[in-house]
Amino acid sequence: MPADIGPTDIAVVGFAQMPAVRRSIETEVQMLVPVITEAITMAGIDRREIGFTCSGSCDYLTGGPFAFVQNLEAAGAWPPIAESHVEMDGAWALYEAWVRLLHGDIDTALVFGSGKSSASEPLDLWPQQLDPYHLAPLGVDPASLAGLQAQAVLDTGRATERDLAEVVARSRRNALANPHAQLRGEVDVDALLAEPYVRQPLRRHDLGPISDGAAALVLARGERARQLCERPAWIRGIDHRTEPHLPGLRDLTTSASTALAARKAGYDGGPLDVAELHAPFSVQEVVLAQSLGLPEGTDVNPSGGALAANIVMAAGLIRIIEASARIMDGSASRALAHATNGQLLQHNLVCLLEGS
Amino acid sequence: MSVAKEDLVMTHLVSLTYRDTLPPTLNRFVDGLFDGRIVGHRCPSCRRVYVPPRGYCPLCVVTTGPDDEVEVSDRGILTGFTVITPVAYYGQQATDPFVHASARLDGADTTLVGVDITGVPHDQLHMGLRVRAVWKPEEERTAEGITSRGWGGVTTFIDSFEATGEPDADPKDYQEHMF
Repeated sequence: MPADIGPTDIAVVGFAQMPAVRRSIETEVQMLVPVITEAITMAGIDRREIGFTCSGSCDYLTGGPFAFVQNLEAAGAWPPIAESHVEMDGAWALYEAWVRLLHGDIDTALVFGSGKSSASEPLDLWPQQLDPYHLAPLGVDPASLAGLQAQAVLDTGRATERDLAEVVARSRRNALANPHAQLRGEVDVDALLAEPYVRQPLRRHDLGPISDGAAALVLARGERARQLCERPAWIRGIDHRTEPHLPGLRDLTTSASTALAARKAGYDGGPLDVAELHAPFSVQEVVLAQSLGLPEGTDVNPSGGALAANIVMAAGLIRIIEASARIMDGSASRALAHATNGQLLQHNLVCLLEGS
Repeated sequence: MSVAKEDLVMTHLVSLTYRDTLPPTLNRFVDGLFDGRIVGHRCPSCRRVYVPPRGYCPLCVVTTGPDDEVEVSDRGILTGFTVITPVAYYGQQATDPFVHASARLDGADTTLVGVDITGVPHDQLHMGLRVRAVWKPEEERTAEGITSRGWGGVTTFIDSFEATGEPDADPKDYQEHMF
């Protein structure tokens, strides 16, 4: 074990995700069963070895109270396990598992995230889930809020509508190499700009698709990570920060919480091979990249990002999986993964990953 | 300084619409119920039979499919029950005490939950009682009680269960299968 890897160093050693689809005909648990099994198999462990399990999902999506309890069946109903759940993206389940591993008494953890947005009407649902008191009665849906954010960004001159279309075109192009993406292809920026607005100044392609799917990963600590994986994706730092949820109380053209989380995670502005940013709206990728101050040459969202596959409650975790995959296959040595939660980038998590 | 204030009250009615698509596994279960048959999945690993079928075995964590389909009996064992005395809360339609029971069908390792037991005085209900399904007439059967979300029962196909008159089951046949 290299001198710089100690017992409090934690790494991704296995992962799996299912291809995002517009509408899965299976239940959320059925989607999770093969994904969790594949992640555990890749890690090379028996599921009975797992010291802690944490999941992220949202019961609002399918309207099934305590759906997250049934989801646990995919991790095995017997023998009993130590587990927890966050009503958040799976990236925050990973954060909890990382904290749990730092206690030092267990060596491995399973993390998964899943969502079936197809069962609901997301633009009606999210205002109720995110803010039923102030914003939902006004009928403000996430796409409308993102439209306000996009207009605010355009007004600063830091991006144009063409820049947003170029984000989308790059996402679709990168997604050509991603077997899990839902939207992929070569698209012409001028053709995108000719599309009508759905929430001015945003067009349909500026919004992530409605997706069903699931993802899982396995974390291991110190020596165990070394044993399980030739080149683990070490978590060099991970942090999350939040801002007031009312959009009127924040500067929507920047993401102070992302910048702070990156700093606390140890990102020093140095070179990055890859940055996987969780931006369900094109304008948010621009805001995030600028707030992080990504250096020139960083490969941003080589997977296509959330504009290509938007599995709510797993899309943030998938950013960490995609960044880890590039560390583990040797194509990257330093990567930054970001996840967001809440409305208009309210709550942000940054995870800095390295190979060694 | 005091300012006269009037409370502003705003009514905000919330409704959310869901589209619950039954997975193929449950569709086949429903098809069987329309025909008066009850099907489940037998785990290829541990051989347990799940009714309704889930498409996987939660104990072995393996997927199951049409090849694992088995038909079980519409007779079984009363494994647990509650006699509920209705309270007149908003929306409650029942007025008389009723039964909420679980039944392990012959050939199944899981129980059907939330079934009614009729024809047996409530003070004579007991675990181990042999019961059989009282099916609704074919033209009255609907799938609206079946959901993919982990609850919902077969009450839109089976009105209730009644005693068969057979001797009570051996406790070993239900003590590991009560819920």
